[in-house]
Amino acid sequence: MSPEEQFAHRFCDLLEQGNMSLDPLVAERLRAARVRALGHQRVVPAEAMQIVGAGGTGLLGRAPGTRPWRNVFVILSLLLGMSFAYYWNGFEQANENEEIDSALLVDDLPPKAYLDPGFQAWLSHYAHSAR
Amino acid sequence: MASRSELSDFLAGVERRAFRQAQFAVRDEEAALDIVQDSMMRLAEHYGERPAQELPLLFQRILQNAIRDHYRRARTRAGQTINLSALEPDDEAADPLETLDIEPERHPFPSPHAALLQQETLERIESALRHLAPRQREAFLLRYWEGLDIAATATVMGCTEGSVKTHCSRATHALAAALAAQGIRP
Repeated sequence: MSPEEQFAHRFCDLLEQGNMSLDPLVAERLRAARVRALGHQRVVPAEAMQIVGAGGTGLLGRAPGTRPWRNVFVILSLLLGMSFAYYWNGFEQANENEEIDSALLVDDLPPKAYLDPGFQAWLSHYAHSAR
Repeated sequence: MASRSELSDFLAGVERRAFRQAQFAVRDEEAALDIVQDSMMRLAEHYGERPAQELPLLFQRILQNAIRDHYRRARTRAGQTINLSALEPDDEAADPLETLDIEPERHPFPSPHAALLQQETLERIESALRHLAPRQREAFLLRYWEGLDIAATATVMGCTEGSVKTHCSRATHALAAALAAQGIRP
Protein backbone atom coordinates (compact mmCIF):
# COMPACT_ATOMS: atom_id res chain seq x y z
CA MET A 1 0.00 0.00 0.00
CA SER A 2 1.41 3.39 -0.97
CA PRO A 3 2.01 6.13 1.66
CA GLU A 4 -0.85 8.03 0.06
CA GLU A 5 -3.26 5.14 0.56
CA GLN A 6 -2.00 4.51 4.10
CA PHE A 7 -2.67 8.12 4.98
CA ALA A 8 -6.11 8.00 3.37
CA HIS A 9 -7.11 4.91 5.31
CA ARG A 10 -5.87 6.30 8.62
CA PHE A 11 -7.76 9.51 7.89
CA CYS A 12 -10.95 7.55 7.20
CA ASP A 13 -10.49 5.55 10.40
CA LEU A 14 -10.68 8.83 12.28
CA LEU A 15 -13.75 9.87 10.31
CA GLU A 16 -15.36 6.58 11.25
CA GLN A 17 -14.78 7.39 14.92
CA GLY A 18 -16.66 10.63 14.35
CA ASN A 19 -19.51 8.60 12.92
CA MET A 20 -19.84 6.68 16.15
CA SER A 21 -20.28 9.88 18.13
CA LEU A 22 -23.06 11.23 15.93
CA ASP A 23 -25.72 13.30 17.66
CA PRO A 24 -28.44 10.86 18.86
CA LEU A 25 -31.15 13.12 17.47
CA VAL A 26 -29.58 13.00 14.02
CA ALA A 27 -29.17 9.24 14.30
CA GLU A 28 -32.85 8.91 15.19
CA ARG A 29 -33.91 11.08 12.26
CA LEU A 30 -31.80 8.96 9.93
CA ARG A 31 -33.43 5.81 11.31
CA ALA A 32 -36.90 7.31 10.78
CA ALA A 33 -35.98 8.30 7.23
CA ARG A 34 -34.81 4.75 6.57
CA VAL A 35 -38.11 3.31 7.82
CA ARG A 36 -40.07 5.75 5.62
CA ALA A 37 -37.97 4.82 2.60
CA LEU A 38 -38.50 1.11 3.20
CA GLY A 39 -42.26 1.75 3.18
CA HIS A 40 -41.86 3.01 -0.38
CA GLN A 41 -39.68 0.16 -1.63
CA ARG A 42 -40.47 -0.62 -5.22
CA VAL A 43 -41.47 -4.22 -5.76
CA VAL A 44 -42.28 -6.11 -8.96
CA PRO A 45 -46.09 -6.43 -8.99
CA ALA A 46 -47.42 -9.99 -8.60
CA GLU A 47 -49.81 -9.40 -11.55
CA ALA A 48 -46.83 -8.89 -13.87
CA MET A 49 -45.41 -12.21 -12.78
CA GLN A 50 -48.78 -13.88 -13.54
CA ILE A 51 -48.85 -12.43 -17.05
CA VAL A 52 -45.35 -13.75 -17.73
CA GLY A 53 -46.42 -17.21 -16.58
CA ALA A 54 -49.78 -17.20 -18.36
CA GLY A 55 -48.48 -18.89 -21.52
CA GLY A 56 -47.06 -21.81 -19.62
CA THR A 57 -49.99 -22.30 -17.30
CA GLY A 58 -52.42 -22.01 -20.20
CA LEU A 59 -50.87 -25.04 -21.88
CA LEU A 60 -49.55 -27.07 -18.99
CA GLY A 61 -52.40 -26.77 -16.54
CA ARG A 62 -54.59 -24.44 -14.62
CA ALA A 63 -52.95 -22.16 -12.12
CA PRO A 64 -54.83 -21.59 -8.89
CA GLY A 65 -57.29 -18.73 -9.18
CA THR A 66 -57.37 -18.56 -13.02
CA ARG A 67 -60.55 -19.12 -15.08
CA PRO A 68 -60.55 -22.29 -17.26
CA TRP A 69 -62.57 -20.71 -20.13
CA ARG A 70 -59.84 -18.10 -20.56
CA ASN A 71 -57.25 -20.78 -21.21
CA VAL A 72 -59.56 -22.54 -23.69
CA PHE A 73 -60.10 -19.26 -25.51
CA VAL A 74 -56.33 -18.65 -25.70
CA ILE A 75 -55.69 -22.14 -27.12
CA LEU A 76 -58.55 -21.88 -29.67
CA SER A 77 -57.29 -18.47 -30.81
CA LEU A 78 -53.83 -19.91 -31.26
CA LEU A 79 -55.09 -22.87 -33.32
CA LEU A 80 -57.31 -20.60 -35.47
CA GLY A 81 -54.37 -18.31 -36.15
CA MET A 82 -52.11 -21.21 -37.14
CA SER A 83 -54.77 -22.64 -39.51
CA PHE A 84 -55.29 -19.29 -41.21
CA ALA A 85 -51.53 -18.81 -41.63
CA TYR A 86 -51.22 -22.31 -43.18
CA TYR A 87 -54.12 -21.69 -45.61
CA TRP A 88 -52.83 -18.26 -46.61
CA ASN A 89 -49.33 -19.59 -47.33
CA GLY A 90 -50.81 -22.32 -49.61
CA PHE A 91 -52.91 -19.76 -51.45
CA GLU A 92 -49.90 -17.55 -52.09
CA GLN A 93 -47.87 -20.51 -53.38
CA ALA A 94 -50.65 -21.57 -55.79
CA ASN A 95 -50.82 -18.04 -57.19
CA GLU A 96 -47.09 -18.02 -57.83
CA ASN A 97 -47.21 -21.42 -59.61
CA GLU A 98 -50.10 -20.26 -61.79
CA GLU A 99 -48.16 -17.19 -62.89
CA ILE A 100 -45.09 -19.28 -63.82
CA ASP A 101 -47.18 -21.77 -65.81
CA SER A 102 -48.95 -18.99 -67.70
CA ALA A 103 -45.67 -17.33 -68.57
CA LEU A 104 -44.26 -20.63 -69.89
CA LEU A 105 -47.31 -21.39 -72.02
CA VAL A 106 -47.57 -17.92 -73.53
CA ASP A 107 -43.85 -17.65 -74.28
CA ASP A 108 -42.35 -18.83 -77.65
CA LEU A 109 -41.03 -22.39 -77.75
CA PRO A 110 -37.20 -22.33 -77.89
CA PRO A 111 -35.74 -24.19 -80.97
CA LYS A 112 -33.70 -26.45 -78.71
CA ALA A 113 -36.93 -27.95 -77.40
CA TYR A 114 -37.51 -29.75 -80.75
CA LEU A 115 -34.20 -31.61 -80.31
CA ASP A 116 -35.18 -32.82 -76.85
CA PRO A 117 -36.20 -36.52 -77.02
CA GLY A 118 -38.49 -36.16 -74.07
CA PHE A 119 -40.37 -33.30 -75.71
CA GLN A 120 -40.62 -35.31 -78.96
CA ALA A 121 -42.09 -38.26 -77.05
CA TRP A 122 -44.59 -35.97 -75.30
CA LEU A 123 -45.60 -34.38 -78.61
CA SER A 124 -46.22 -37.77 -80.29
CA HIS A 125 -48.15 -39.01 -77.25
CA TYR A 126 -50.24 -35.82 -77.21
CA ALA A 127 -50.89 -36.13 -80.98
CA HIS A 128 -52.09 -39.74 -80.57
CA SER A 129 -54.32 -38.99 -77.67
CA ALA A 130 -55.79 -35.95 -79.51
CA ARG A 131 -56.95 -38.21 -82.32
CA MET B 1 -34.17 -8.40 -6.24
CA ALA B 2 -33.18 -6.90 -2.88
CA SER B 3 -35.50 -8.03 -0.10
CA ARG B 4 -36.83 -5.54 2.42
CA SER B 5 -34.34 -6.76 5.02
CA GLU B 6 -31.42 -6.46 2.55
CA LEU B 7 -32.41 -2.91 1.68
CA SER B 8 -32.87 -2.11 5.36
CA ASP B 9 -29.44 -3.51 6.27
CA PHE B 10 -27.81 -1.62 3.42
CA LEU B 11 -29.39 1.70 4.39
CA ALA B 12 -28.60 1.17 8.07
CA GLY B 13 -24.97 0.55 7.19
CA VAL B 14 -24.57 3.54 4.92
CA GLU B 15 -26.85 6.22 6.39
CA ARG B 16 -24.38 7.79 8.84
CA ARG B 17 -21.57 8.02 6.33
CA ALA B 18 -24.03 9.40 3.78
CA PHE B 19 -25.13 12.07 6.24
CA ARG B 20 -21.54 13.05 7.02
CA GLN B 21 -20.65 13.14 3.32
CA ALA B 22 -23.57 15.46 2.66
CA GLN B 23 -22.71 17.55 5.72
CA PHE B 24 -19.10 17.97 4.61
CA ALA B 25 -20.34 19.04 1.20
CA VAL B 26 -23.20 21.40 2.06
CA ARG B 27 -22.10 22.44 5.58
CA ASP B 28 -25.66 22.46 6.85
CA GLU B 29 -27.08 19.73 9.08
CA GLU B 30 -30.71 20.19 8.03
CA ALA B 31 -29.85 20.28 4.35
CA ALA B 32 -27.65 17.20 4.76
CA LEU B 33 -30.48 15.32 6.46
CA ASP B 34 -32.87 16.30 3.65
CA ILE B 35 -30.38 15.11 1.05
CA VAL B 36 -29.95 11.72 2.73
CA GLN B 37 -33.69 11.28 3.26
CA ASP B 38 -34.41 12.11 -0.39
CA SER B 39 -31.65 9.76 -1.54
CA MET B 40 -32.99 6.89 0.56
CA MET B 41 -36.49 7.48 -0.73
CA ARG B 42 -35.36 7.62 -4.36
CA LEU B 43 -33.36 4.43 -3.99
CA ALA B 44 -36.31 2.57 -2.44
CA GLU B 45 -38.91 3.93 -4.84
CA HIS B 46 -37.04 3.64 -8.10
CA TYR B 47 -34.46 0.92 -7.53
CA GLY B 48 -35.97 -1.18 -4.73
CA GLU B 49 -36.36 -4.14 -7.08
CA ARG B 50 -32.66 -4.19 -8.09
CA PRO B 51 -30.27 -6.86 -6.77
CA ALA B 52 -28.69 -6.11 -3.40
CA GLN B 53 -25.15 -5.96 -4.81
CA GLU B 54 -26.13 -3.04 -7.07
CA LEU B 55 -27.41 -0.90 -4.20
CA PRO B 56 -24.09 0.72 -3.08
CA LEU B 57 -23.28 2.13 -6.50
CA LEU B 58 -26.86 3.23 -7.16
CA PHE B 59 -27.16 4.90 -3.78
CA GLN B 60 -23.88 6.78 -4.18
CA ARG B 61 -24.95 8.03 -7.59
CA ILE B 62 -28.24 9.25 -6.18
CA LEU B 63 -26.54 10.85 -3.16
CA GLN B 64 -23.86 12.63 -5.20
CA ASN B 65 -26.48 13.88 -7.66
CA ALA B 66 -28.56 15.18 -4.76
CA ILE B 67 -25.51 17.02 -3.39
CA ARG B 68 -24.81 18.52 -6.82
CA ASP B 69 -28.45 19.59 -7.12
CA HIS B 70 -28.10 21.32 -3.78
CA TYR B 71 -24.95 23.09 -5.01
CA ARG B 72 -26.76 24.28 -8.11
CA ARG B 73 -29.68 25.64 -6.14
CA ALA B 74 -27.47 27.29 -3.55
CA ARG B 75 -24.71 28.52 -5.87
CA THR B 76 -25.71 32.13 -5.68
CA ARG B 77 -25.76 32.26 -1.91
CA ALA B 78 -22.84 29.90 -1.23
CA GLY B 79 -19.83 31.43 0.41
CA GLN B 80 -16.31 31.36 -0.83
CA THR B 81 -14.62 27.96 -0.61
CA ILE B 82 -10.99 27.89 0.32
CA ASN B 83 -9.30 25.48 -2.01
CA LEU B 84 -6.68 23.70 0.05
CA SER B 85 -5.16 22.24 -3.10
CA ALA B 86 -3.73 25.65 -3.78
CA LEU B 87 -1.69 25.33 -0.61
CA GLU B 88 -0.11 22.12 -1.84
CA PRO B 89 3.68 22.59 -1.88
CA ASP B 90 5.53 22.07 -5.14
CA ASP B 91 8.60 20.76 -3.37
CA GLU B 92 8.21 16.99 -3.24
CA ALA B 93 10.92 16.76 -0.58
CA ALA B 94 8.57 18.58 1.75
CA ASP B 95 5.73 16.14 1.10
CA PRO B 96 3.72 16.09 4.36
CA LEU B 97 2.74 12.49 3.72
CA GLU B 98 6.33 11.57 4.52
CA THR B 99 6.19 13.01 8.00
CA LEU B 100 2.55 13.10 8.99
CA ASP B 101 1.14 10.44 11.25
CA ILE B 102 -2.43 10.75 12.41
CA GLU B 103 -2.78 7.27 13.80
CA PRO B 104 -5.27 7.73 16.61
CA GLU B 105 -4.42 6.49 20.06
CA ARG B 106 -6.71 3.64 20.94
CA HIS B 107 -7.39 3.19 24.61
CA PRO B 108 -10.42 1.35 25.92
CA PHE B 109 -10.99 4.12 28.48
CA PRO B 110 -9.27 7.31 27.30
CA SER B 111 -8.58 9.96 29.87
CA PRO B 112 -10.60 13.20 29.67
CA HIS B 113 -7.51 14.95 28.32
CA ALA B 114 -6.97 12.29 25.65
CA ALA B 115 -10.66 12.36 24.75
CA LEU B 116 -10.51 16.14 24.37
CA LEU B 117 -7.43 15.89 22.17
CA GLN B 118 -9.10 13.25 20.05
CA GLN B 119 -12.20 15.42 19.67
CA GLU B 120 -10.04 18.37 18.63
CA THR B 121 -8.20 16.22 16.11
CA LEU B 122 -11.51 15.02 14.74
CA GLU B 123 -12.78 18.56 14.37
CA ARG B 124 -9.61 19.59 12.57
CA ILE B 125 -9.66 16.74 10.09
CA GLU B 126 -13.35 17.36 9.41
CA SER B 127 -12.59 21.01 8.87
CA ALA B 128 -9.80 20.12 6.45
CA LEU B 129 -12.17 17.84 4.59
CA ARG B 130 -14.85 20.51 4.40
CA HIS B 131 -12.39 22.91 2.82
CA LEU B 132 -11.32 20.56 0.04
CA ALA B 133 -12.47 21.27 -3.51
CA PRO B 134 -15.82 19.49 -3.96
CA ARG B 135 -14.65 17.05 -6.62
CA GLN B 136 -11.55 16.13 -4.65
CA ARG B 137 -13.59 15.53 -1.50
CA GLU B 138 -16.13 13.48 -3.46
CA ALA B 139 -13.42 11.29 -4.99
CA PHE B 140 -11.55 10.89 -1.70
CA LEU B 141 -14.62 9.87 0.31
CA LEU B 142 -16.01 7.53 -2.33
CA ARG B 143 -12.68 5.85 -2.86
CA TYR B 144 -11.36 5.57 0.67
CA TRP B 145 -14.36 5.94 2.98
CA GLU B 146 -17.00 4.13 0.95
CA GLY B 147 -14.38 1.72 -0.33
CA LEU B 148 -15.41 1.92 -4.01
CA ASP B 149 -12.76 0.90 -6.52
CA ILE B 150 -11.47 3.39 -9.07
CA ALA B 151 -13.83 2.26 -11.83
CA ALA B 152 -16.91 2.47 -9.59
CA THR B 153 -15.82 5.88 -8.28
CA ALA B 154 -15.44 7.09 -11.86
CA THR B 155 -18.92 5.80 -12.67
CA VAL B 156 -20.47 7.58 -9.71
CA MET B 157 -18.63 10.82 -10.46
CA GLY B 158 -19.21 10.64 -14.20
CA CYS B 159 -15.55 11.09 -15.05
CA THR B 160 -12.57 9.02 -16.21
CA GLU B 161 -10.55 6.72 -13.97
CA GLY B 162 -7.55 8.97 -14.56
CA SER B 163 -9.48 11.93 -13.17
CA VAL B 164 -10.40 9.90 -10.09
CA LYS B 165 -6.73 9.10 -9.46
CA THR B 166 -5.78 12.74 -9.88
CA HIS B 167 -8.56 13.98 -7.58
CA CYS B 168 -7.68 11.39 -4.92
CA SER B 169 -3.98 12.19 -5.04
CA ARG B 170 -4.54 15.94 -4.82
CA ALA B 171 -7.06 15.50 -2.03
CA THR B 172 -4.70 13.33 0.00
CA HIS B 173 -1.82 15.77 -0.36
CA ALA B 174 -4.02 18.75 0.42
CA LEU B 175 -5.38 17.06 3.56
CA ALA B 176 -1.91 16.09 4.70
CA ALA B 177 -0.66 19.64 4.16
CA ALA B 178 -3.64 21.12 5.99
CA LEU B 179 -3.17 18.84 8.99
CA ALA B 180 0.57 19.44 9.07
CA ALA B 181 -0.09 23.17 9.06
CA GLN B 182 -2.32 22.73 12.11
CA GLY B 183 0.40 20.85 13.91
CA ILE B 184 -1.24 17.47 13.94
CA ARG B 185 1.80 15.29 14.48
CA PRO B 186 2.60 12.28 16.63
